[in-house]
Amino acid sequence: MNNMHQSAIHCVLLFSGFVLLAHADVCCADDFFRERVVPVLQRRCLSCHNDVQRKGEFSLQSAESAFDDGYLEPGDAAASHLVDVITPTNGKAEMPKNSDPLKTEEISAIRKWIDSGAKWPSDFKLQEPVIADFDWWSYQPIKSPSVPKINDPWVRTPIDSFVLKTLNQKGLSHAAEADRRTLIRRVTFDLTGLPPTIEEVDAFQNDSDPHAYEKLVDRLLESKHYGERWARHWLDIVKYADTCGYDKDKLRPNAWPYRDYVIRSFNEDKPYARFVQEQIAGDVLFPGEPDGILGLGFIAAGPWDFIGHVEVPESKIDGKVARNLDRDDMVSNTINTFCSMTIQCARCHNHKFDPLTQENYYGLQAIFAAVDRAERPYDLDPKVEKRRRELDSQLKQFNAKLSTLEKTIADAGGPRLLELNQQIKELKPRLKTEKEPQFGYHSAITSGSTTEKWVVVDLGRIVGVSSIVLRACHDDYAGIGSGFGFPIRFKVEISTDGQDWKIVRDQTMEDVPNPGLTAVELDNINLNARHVRVTATKLSERSSDYIFALAELQVFDTNRDNVAHGAKVAALDSIEAPVRWTKKNLTDGLWAKAGDPTLAQQLVQVVKERAEILAKIETPERLKEKDSIQKSITKAQGDLKSLPQGRMVYAAATQFKTQGNFKPTQGTLRPIQVLHRGNVQQPDHPATAGMLPLSRSGDWRIEGETTESQRRAELATWLTDRDHPLVWRSIVNRIWQYHFGQGIVATPNDFGRMGAKPTHPELLDWLAVQFRDGDQSMKQLHRLIVTSGVYRQSSQDNEANSGIDGSNQYLWRMKRRRLEAEEIRDSILTVSGAMNYQMGGPGYYLFELERVEHSPHYEYHKFDPSDEASHRRSIYRFIVRSQPDPWMTTLDCADSSQSTPKRNETLTSLQALSMLNSKFNLLMAERFATQLELESDNLEAQVEKAMLLTTQRKPTELERKQFVAYAQKHGLPNLCRVMFNLSEFVYLD
Amino acid sequence: MHRREFLSQAGTNFSAFALAAMLHDESFAESTGAVQVLHHPPKAKRVVQLFMGGAASHIDLWDHKPMLEKHHGAKSDFGEQVETFQNGLGPWMKSPFKFSPHGQSGKMISEVVEPLGECVDDIAFIHNMKGKTGVHSQATYLQATGFQRPGFPGMGSWVSYALGSINENLPTFVVLPDHRGFASNGPKNWGSAFLPASSQGTAIFPQRENPIDDLLPHAKYVTKASDRDGLELLNQINGQYQNQRVGDSRLEARIRSYELAARMQLSAPEALDISGEPKHIMKMYGLDRIGATYPDTINASEEAEYFGRKCLIARRLLERGVRFVQIWSGNDNSHPRRNWDSHEDLERDHGPLARGMAVGTAALLKDLKQSGLLEDTIVLWTTEFGRMPSTQGSKGRDHNPYVFTNWLCGGGIKGGISHGPSDEWGYKPLHRSNPTEVYDVHATMLHLLGIDHKRLTYLNDGIDRRLTDVHGHVIQEIVA
Repeated sequence: MNNMHQSAIHCVLLFSGFVLLAHADVCCADDFFRERVVPVLQRRCLSCHNDVQRKGEFSLQSAESAFDDGYLEPGDAAASHLVDVITPTNGKAEMPKNSDPLKTEEISAIRKWIDSGAKWPSDFKLQEPVIADFDWWSYQPIKSPSVPKINDPWVRTPIDSFVLKTLNQKGLSHAAEADRRTLIRRVTFDLTGLPPTIEEVDAFQNDSDPHAYEKLVDRLLESKHYGERWARHWLDIVKYADTCGYDKDKLRPNAWPYRDYVIRSFNEDKPYARFVQEQIAGDVLFPGEPDGILGLGFIAAGPWDFIGHVEVPESKIDGKVARNLDRDDMVSNTINTFCSMTIQCARCHNHKFDPLTQENYYGLQAIFAAVDRAERPYDLDPKVEKRRRELDSQLKQFNAKLSTLEKTIADAGGPRLLELNQQIKELKPRLKTEKEPQFGYHSAITSGSTTEKWVVVDLGRIVGVSSIVLRACHDDYAGIGSGFGFPIRFKVEISTDGQDWKIVRDQTMEDVPNPGLTAVELDNINLNARHVRVTATKLSERSSDYIFALAELQVFDTNRDNVAHGAKVAALDSIEAPVRWTKKNLTDGLWAKAGDPTLAQQLVQVVKERAEILAKIETPERLKEKDSIQKSITKAQGDLKSLPQGRMVYAAATQFKTQGNFKPTQGTLRPIQVLHRGNVQQPDHPATAGMLPLSRSGDWRIEGETTESQRRAELATWLTDRDHPLVWRSIVNRIWQYHFGQGIVATPNDFGRMGAKPTHPELLDWLAVQFRDGDQSMKQLHRLIVTSGVYRQSSQDNEANSGIDGSNQYLWRMKRRRLEAEEIRDSILTVSGAMNYQMGGPGYYLFELERVEHSPHYEYHKFDPSDEASHRRSIYRFIVRSQPDPWMTTLDCADSSQSTPKRNETLTSLQALSMLNSKFNLLMAERFATQLELESDNLEAQVEKAMLLTTQRKPTELERKQFVAYAQKHGLPNLCRVMFNLSEFVYLD
Repeated sequence: MHRREFLSQAGTNFSAFALAAMLHDESFAESTGAVQVLHHPPKAKRVVQLFMGGAASHIDLWDHKPMLEKHHGAKSDFGEQVETFQNGLGPWMKSPFKFSPHGQSGKMISEVVEPLGECVDDIAFIHNMKGKTGVHSQATYLQATGFQRPGFPGMGSWVSYALGSINENLPTFVVLPDHRGFASNGPKNWGSAFLPASSQGTAIFPQRENPIDDLLPHAKYVTKASDRDGLELLNQINGQYQNQRVGDSRLEARIRSYELAARMQLSAPEALDISGEPKHIMKMYGLDRIGATYPDTINASEEAEYFGRKCLIARRLLERGVRFVQIWSGNDNSHPRRNWDSHEDLERDHGPLARGMAVGTAALLKDLKQSGLLEDTIVLWTTEFGRMPSTQGSKGRDHNPYVFTNWLCGGGIKGGISHGPSDEWGYKPLHRSNPTEVYDVHATMLHLLGIDHKRLTYLNDGIDRRLTDVHGHVIQEIVA
């Protein structure tokens, strides 16, 4: 598509609203067209038949294109091809393709419009339908509702007033307060994810202080375990894992600092705005502070396609797709998490239900246009950074000097040198090389060209040698290509015993031009030999360093047979990086071949001529100077390398170590286009960076030229704007949901029209205001919620109430819940006495890790659960994205490839099998038994203790009898195995 | 009830079928799925999906190309700029394998899949499958889950979710991975993602000491008696807990789940035990050399043994009421190659892999047919994409996401046909604007199972998710 056309569409998109307004008072035929025909065409036809796609060579976007194609006969619907294809026979129509036919009234509207002349205002262009209606609860400004005045002794907090008001309206009654044992079990799990200890339960049950419960809540909120529990909720939403996912599923050894950052942020009760800002643009807004960088782990938390980024370049379609999906993950993670809006629906088309357009979507992609997911340092020492900057600037100076010098040399070479350089540049790509993955032998890398390196081939027996052939390598590394690593000076020697050597070619006194891919042949040797040695005395340059590489060494006997094929190879040193580089590649019969021998020969000639010119103009002074500059560069580079790197975190980054095709942008914004149907091969027009629109008149664009960091900073500021209607409601709703099992809005990631409406809209706003205008303290919000009468209710059923509100959405009782996978695992470790409460650090494995170098294998079935490193809280386990822990998955643990704002709670026989028979459960049951036996040798006491630890109550007389009888018959470990499977162990009343 | 409430209580729905199951005094009970009433009469109730990890070449197995034989070695010319994954645009390369006609339909198939010659009259080939990407991971996701990226349920999960279990004593959805390891994406290809965990695939490794993790207790202190008495004790204590908490069907369902688990402990080992299979059946599945030692290099008889064992177990599982079985051939992309990603040497890898696969697959089809099960079991053979008709290196083929082959067989499929040709080179569909996509295959399979693919939805994060996303149409031409 040409640029003119593009910008035309752009204008129409920007001004379509204006066009509609300007023509608001046209005649009624026009109205009929706009009201009855346009919506149908927009909804059912335009996605294929537009000016970009033109499926079936037909576009319905404008009058011009629609009539040009002859599908419409104005005034005669019956003769119009369009009517033919949309009219169904036997319930099926040709168009819309593979879809339900248009409704009868839609077809008759189109017929009527055609029959009456098919009037289509010439300047009117169809656009994809846009939802422009912001008349939806979540877009309304947050009100500050007054607390309902209710005089009821049950009311402890304003929350209770709001809830009771609704209960009264619905004819529901609240439940009685739960008993103390239930309360301490409930609130301890909710706030810390762990069971209360026997002593804690005792103390609370016997505390006569009227504020005993409030004291308990304060203690729990001060516990370091609070952050461990609530960080897990956050990590579910943001898709945190310790591997990349996709093919190969490479490890992210430094993702955990972000996980620890989240735990610490919760424990420190970081104000929410600050928490949000750090995760979007902490590096920009809080420079020099580690949390500003650690927070950026948020942007990098989701999956990443190694192959699509490292192995496929950005220029290829698959590379573009991978990067488009990568930004899509960043955009949806941000908007789902903080705004609870399903922005990802607008990647291929305007959102069908909410006022989010493709323009908005790609505007958000443009904010993340320069960031990638990679490791970056987060705790840099300012002194070290100063030194780093000094060295960087030195390096720049040396490089400038070097290029000046090289220019002087080039100038001295005159126009012929320029010509030769040009020819080499052109010839190289024309020489289509054919090569195998096995490149050849490659020495270790050194910093000087004069280090001697040798490689020797042992033929295994003495052979009459007629000729020897050396073949150079081909490697695109540093743009070198043919002749890669071939020595500038060298000698070839032979020997029958490996002791006495005879030189058969001496090139040590004079530079040899690089042979490229032509063979270097040593003919007419006619001597006996068993060993052939090549010694490089002047190495060729790689990239400011030096190596010796050779693809193949052939030794021909008098019958012209290559007797070196498969022969043993030894060398002074070798980088050994198979399959490309390994010693035995030197005699494997494989070497890179130039496609066209004439071109190859031509290249050798040109290279040779250039070498001759260079030899003349490279005076000893110049060479000395060049050498000295190069030494300074090497030293500065070495110094830079030896500077402490700082600890690393996997986060959003614009600077990082290049890995194959995965290169840092250095902050340069990638051009972001609005993609037709989300297809990278159909870019429509450049996107303008911007936010979500929050109202019809709201300006969502980021104005003017902005850098990538400014864009993220703007986004972070916008997300924490006091008047943001979505952000504050979103977070208080999430916290509410984790306490009650369902949000005030039941769809925590979707406040749009496909989501649920709030059950208690005033309460939601009241909470949002309290939270926003207080200290944005989550702990205060928890305190407010868990000290309410609503939260303290019993979970017992009430038939009258459940008849009215079976799903308990109005909270007439507390919801009984099953513990989450982590809570179950942590409880088992705790009651068995195996738990190590050490916080933070790299994740521990629950699998054996094999074959890390290529595609890591995560072998769960080989893991030994007695490994003490794994007896820590579940939040610290190493989470494998492609192979989630089977035990955890069976218990409904979140899938780290999708945002999980609310976990499923299922019941399956596989869960029963995991809880009964997993190696972990069986081992811990044994530990549990040992622990009980250590504390008492009386079985009755052991049984009582086991019950108290697992359920926080004493067994009933009947239970005691049953447990004792079972333990007597089968031993205590078997009883402990049973205890882990009690419903009461895994359910919270 | 509002649909959203219904979904949010997916856990509690368990009770409904748990109760129904308890009322049935049968050795195995069905459970209902989310599709309570099928959308139309089904032609099939079970599925087998055979997945060739690494991308199996259509033009070397099923899609015969005389043009390649004619122009072998000539400079390839695609008539347009082609973007390959690596650099496989060498000369045209004919298949190293010979093709010959089979069956009434005279279908030309390659010598390496010759055992399937006897089955071609029951098979519908689709030669114009078109992918979206040449990247293994994304393409595998696309064929396995209908989406190009992680986070979506596998096809087996959707079917399990929709239809529930035929026999609750066995998992509804079983996966038999390659014995060497997982293909690209590993278990994410059969995960339940946002669907209830009960719909996830259960991986079974027949060659392992514990083919199903956690099926049985491996601890010295657990005996048969302690296990049995323990379950009885649990039943009582959990029963008391439930009685004190009326109106919570989950607690009852949980008790029931332990009973089901106990039944599965008996059913699963029996289903996996092939020792009672007659000799001729073992031979048919390539299992007449069990215990043999094999060379280090890839070889056909070893492939046949491992793949054949999975096929035989698949048949036993289907007979016993497993709803969906997925069998994998090929592990990840490490070296030496043990998957279908033949960049270097097609004959070396495809030869033994295909011969092994064909022995087991042909045995499975014939065996299902003779027992009548094939009538309501759909078998799908698939892979993530095809391979180029030009060479890579001198003996390999690069990725071809532009066209590849699927085939289906059994349960309502019209046999002996080839639908949707590829072009004369096997480079793209012959009719480029009208290819078949994974959505169409999935829509067709759901259709045969009695499900309208547009009506099988699950609300996740504000989006009504479907296996077929927003695409797909039933391929009427291959429906009998």
